[in-house]
Amino acid sequence: MKNMITQNSPILEVNGLNVNRNGAPVIEGATFTINRGDYVGIVGPNGGGKTTLLRVILNFLPYTQGFIKLFDTNLTNFSSWEKIAYISQQATNFEEQFPLTVRELVSLGCIKKGRLGRNFTSEDWKNVDNNIEFMGLSNVANRRIGQLSGGQKQRMFVAKALTHKPELIILDEPIVGVDSNAQEKFYKKLSDLNIKHQTTILIVTHDLASVFCRMSKILCINKNVELANITPNLDTTQLLKRAYGEHFHFVFHQHSCEGEFPHEH
Amino acid sequence: MNINFFNLFSYNFFQNALIGGIIVAIVCGLMGLFLILKKEAMIGDGLSHTAFGGIAIGLLMGINPIITALATSILAVFTISYMRRKKIATSDSAVAIMLAIGFSTGLIIISIAGGFNIELFNYLFGSILTITLSDLLLVSALSTFVLLFIGFFRRELLSMIFDEEDSKLRGIPTNYLTIIFDILTAITIVLSIKIIGTILVIAILVIPGLCALKLNLSFKKTLLTTTLFSTISTTTGIIISAIFNIATAGIIVLVLVTFFIITLIYKKLE
Repeated sequence: MKNMITQNSPILEVNGLNVNRNGAPVIEGATFTINRGDYVGIVGPNGGGKTTLLRVILNFLPYTQGFIKLFDTNLTNFSSWEKIAYISQQATNFEEQFPLTVRELVSLGCIKKGRLGRNFTSEDWKNVDNNIEFMGLSNVANRRIGQLSGGQKQRMFVAKALTHKPELIILDEPIVGVDSNAQEKFYKKLSDLNIKHQTTILIVTHDLASVFCRMSKILCINKNVELANITPNLDTTQLLKRAYGEHFHFVFHQHSCEGEFPHEH
Repeated sequence: MNINFFNLFSYNFFQNALIGGIIVAIVCGLMGLFLILKKEAMIGDGLSHTAFGGIAIGLLMGINPIITALATSILAVFTISYMRRKKIATSDSAVAIMLAIGFSTGLIIISIAGGFNIELFNYLFGSILTITLSDLLLVSALSTFVLLFIGFFRRELLSMIFDEEDSKLRGIPTNYLTIIFDILTAITIVLSIKIIGTILVIAILVIPGLCALKLNLSFKKTLLTTTLFSTISTTTGIIISAIFNIATAGIIVLVLVTFFIITLIYKKLE
């Protein structure tokens, strides 16, 4: 019974949210609730407001109307940011020459508010190594971060995020310039995380097949925001047409989730 | 006075110079590395020229020029920060403006006052061999402060430079950290003026870190290698200049450039 309650406890509530950027509305009347343990794919056309919405939720950008609650606390009063990990669109675009090994970068996730300037303990390092292993990066742990492939870089940032044991992970379009094989592996890893640790995941993606195969909810954003549970009865065609426009065509078959994914478009 | 390599270390002036030089070399190398990573290395050039104005003010008013130089540099670094933050000017233009203001202030004071040209010359090109005990104490105190800060907060600094937004989210007080880092930069520049002079400060600030970065090492090893490069070049510079009576700053920069060329060749062969 207790388990049921935590399962359905809301982690993020957005109600009647309006966001303007440079005078123009970007998000209008967004209302949705994300519960603990949800694995949410965020989709929508470029410029539809996906990144803006996430950045408003993270308090990096202001909003004009509505309210946002994180972990049952109004955004304006929210301070438990250690519960949240955010991997931005630009995360993997770092300076190639930056003098950090994978292990060193992941360890930066151990920096904690209130314990600044302290040395890392052997426990911290164990935590770092466990997460590197979990994300399948043990063999490159001592390499410089600039020498990794795109997919490895992504997993490295997730490993860094995991070191502070977040309850909510927000990833903004993390897979650009990553081959589809690595991409599928990455989504699989996130599924593991979602199932094993009940970590709530919000991920911006263009890979619709992966959303319908792996995730529990889909959040369509194109100025308007619509959240849907992914069930076999979901009318994907109508949902996506509302987000992408009448001309959008996407056919999804449940059986395509086994093994190889068909190439979209 | 017949100085050679074997009796060199028994001279008081040389001991002072060597101790002061090594301390400052370590501070400069480390702060320089962070500045390179922040892509703000040229701030060092801007601040050293503003410090020149401060030195002239100090000499005119009979105050220890290190103190007045410190004041003008800190003022300059805050002004640069402010202009950048308020988008009044980009980082490099803001540096250019402060550089010009500081240096021209120095020039005006020289032409009005006259008389301390030789002293000023020492600050322009460095004069580590004439460092006094009181200067050495001041240099050591300030350096200890900088080194302690880097020692404790190197990870937070690195995290902030790597990804400021994420660091904020992690609860790192990036605004305070930036202010303290700016002050430490000003301190570092002023310290190194005594050794290498206003004009060439940028070399000892940038080249050791640049060499170390070329070697593709971990952060820990990059810090150590940077320190090594800056210490070796400064020590060599001080020894050679004491024996052969050649300008210290010139030798230091020459050694640094040699290191740089060697690392480039090493990179090519690797």
